[in-house]
Amino acid sequence: MPPTVTKQDETRTATGADVRARSTADDAAEVATGDAASRVTPSVGSPHVGSAIVARDLSKTYPVPLARLKRLFRRKSDTPTEALRDVNLEIREGEIFGLIGRNGAGKTTFAKIIATLVQPTSGGVVIHGFDSVRDEERVRAQVGLASAEERSFYWRLTILQNLSFFARLYGMDDRRARARIRELIELFELGEQARQRFGQLSTGNKQRVILARAMLNDPPVLLLDEPTRSLDPLAAAAMRSTIRRLAAGTPPKTVLLTSHNLAEIEELCDRVAVISRGSIRALGTPQQLRVEHGSTELVRVTARAVSREAAASALRPLALAGFSARAGDRGEVVCEFTREVGDARLDAALGALRAAGGEVVAVEAERATLLDVLERYERGREAGDHTGDAVELPK
Amino acid sequence: MSAVLLLRRIRAYFVRDLQLELSYRFAFFLRVLSVLAVVTTFFFVSRIFTGGGECPCANSPFAQWRDPLAAWITGLAVLNYFMTGFSSLANAIRSEQAQGTLEGTLMTPISVTTLVVASSAWDFVQATFFASLYFFFGWAIFGVNFRGSFLLAFAILLLTTLVLASIGILSASFAMVFKRGDPFAVFLGTGSALFSGVFFPTQLLGSGFNHISRALPPTYGLDGIRGVLIEGRTFGEVRDSVFTLLVFLAVLLPFSVWVFSRAVRRAKREGSLIQY
Repeated sequence: MPPTVTKQDETRTATGADVRARSTADDAAEVATGDAASRVTPSVGSPHVGSAIVARDLSKTYPVPLARLKRLFRRKSDTPTEALRDVNLEIREGEIFGLIGRNGAGKTTFAKIIATLVQPTSGGVVIHGFDSVRDEERVRAQVGLASAEERSFYWRLTILQNLSFFARLYGMDDRRARARIRELIELFELGEQARQRFGQLSTGNKQRVILARAMLNDPPVLLLDEPTRSLDPLAAAAMRSTIRRLAAGTPPKTVLLTSHNLAEIEELCDRVAVISRGSIRALGTPQQLRVEHGSTELVRVTARAVSREAAASALRPLALAGFSARAGDRGEVVCEFTREVGDARLDAALGALRAAGGEVVAVEAERATLLDVLERYERGREAGDHTGDAVELPK
Repeated sequence: MSAVLLLRRIRAYFVRDLQLELSYRFAFFLRVLSVLAVVTTFFFVSRIFTGGGECPCANSPFAQWRDPLAAWITGLAVLNYFMTGFSSLANAIRSEQAQGTLEGTLMTPISVTTLVVASSAWDFVQATFFASLYFFFGWAIFGVNFRGSFLLAFAILLLTTLVLASIGILSASFAMVFKRGDPFAVFLGTGSALFSGVFFPTQLLGSGFNHISRALPPTYGLDGIRGVLIEGRTFGEVRDSVFTLLVFLAVLLPFSVWVFSRAVRRAKREGSLIQY
């Protein structure tokens, strides 16, 4: 049967997808099992078949609430806020995808559109074949959101009571809900606190309950906002391990991770997008981003049996960028310089130090981190570079 | 959505609210006491008119007020129920917004409409309990006798509540967009108490205010219920009130559902669904 063409359909058609969506009022229980007939079927030039999340020309501008009323009463009103601009992204099934950017960059808006809590102004997002606007109830069955918001629980109810309530909203019967909650309590090591009121839990345990709720209906897509926030180092490591296991499981989970902990993003994510002012500025693996945006590295060579002056005299002829030499804590000399990754200057520097009678005891190299990548885009933003063209790095 | 799923979700909200209520046991006990205090107060106020004996207004034109205590108890019990029907839907949205739990619930595959309906289930059960409590205290402690069909009275009560719930949906739409301040609450809350005959016969209002009285659905509901319980009227004798309520329902329900869907869409567009 040909699809009924609506405004949303036009959007989908423009992005190369064929919409065959059914009413959103259908039984959500069907959603959980997946109804292939209602999914967006990719066509020629359309997203990868194994795509979990596909955003096409996604833009969101928050209108000024009651703007017309304010104009009517000639009251000064704010200007609309552009949160996302022409975002095009494809996140693959089983991928751990990181989204980094400053506060207000558009990370939360992107996650909330996927979670159907906010509607896009134009463009759209398809999650496992379902459109976030047309099929919102189906999309919600596909997505688990673990936001950093502790208040989204009933503080006077226990962990068990809270999870049971949300499990019933997912349409689970009592037996299934009990079994699933037991699994999650075990997974997140919450057994001892299960009968404690949510309000009495430590911040770290609240964070675990937030994640447990996101996974109640075992959704294929997890949206995790700062998942290790407030966890102690051991618990954070355990959480990272859990996330990795989920992504690699059968069936694999797709994880969209937004975090300010860039080390965590680097450790966990297969690919990372840098978002600034609502636009995706760069996209690639953490390694690709580091190399692309920081082709130099800081080298630190520690040597003994040579004085600081002698080391400096030996290295000065090499004209090393950013060169400095200082005395270390145990009488050794620490020389620092930057170089292009892979060039011959390191070898030359080590040779010069040895020739001066030095004994090299340590060599360390610090390459650009995601923080440097992020800072570079933010510096570009402050300098007025708002091109908004995303750069997808070669695989 | 299947009926089983809807019932499962209504049960989820009911159990949640029961658990929350049980965590505030003392508040529940105080509320029972306050109903008893109100009924006792009106018992003594009614003694002003009856002087402890037969009511001097036994031959008055206000047939439903020949026993003032029975009329007040009915009025208060029904007003309590009506207000629940009217305000619980908007309160459901407001309290979830204020607690911050709206985001969590809206992340489950539940529509905003189901959320609003299911989350007011407990309010109706509670309202039924407290409305019954007014009648129980009146009958058990102060010897008030009600006659007529309780079933018919309950049917009129439900019909009026449905009409008021339609206005409640408009109120919830208002809460969705404007967050606070609700003209419907002011209009119906104070309007019903003053113009619907809760505390005195509407005939006393005079011709000018009678128009306001006739524009309010609770007037017809209360008239029908008092007619059944106090005067012992049959369905045939209260059908005018029932018919008027059905007309209100036919107009208000589709309109309010349409307004509500527009309000939800608007809140999602503005990204203000979970704000308060």
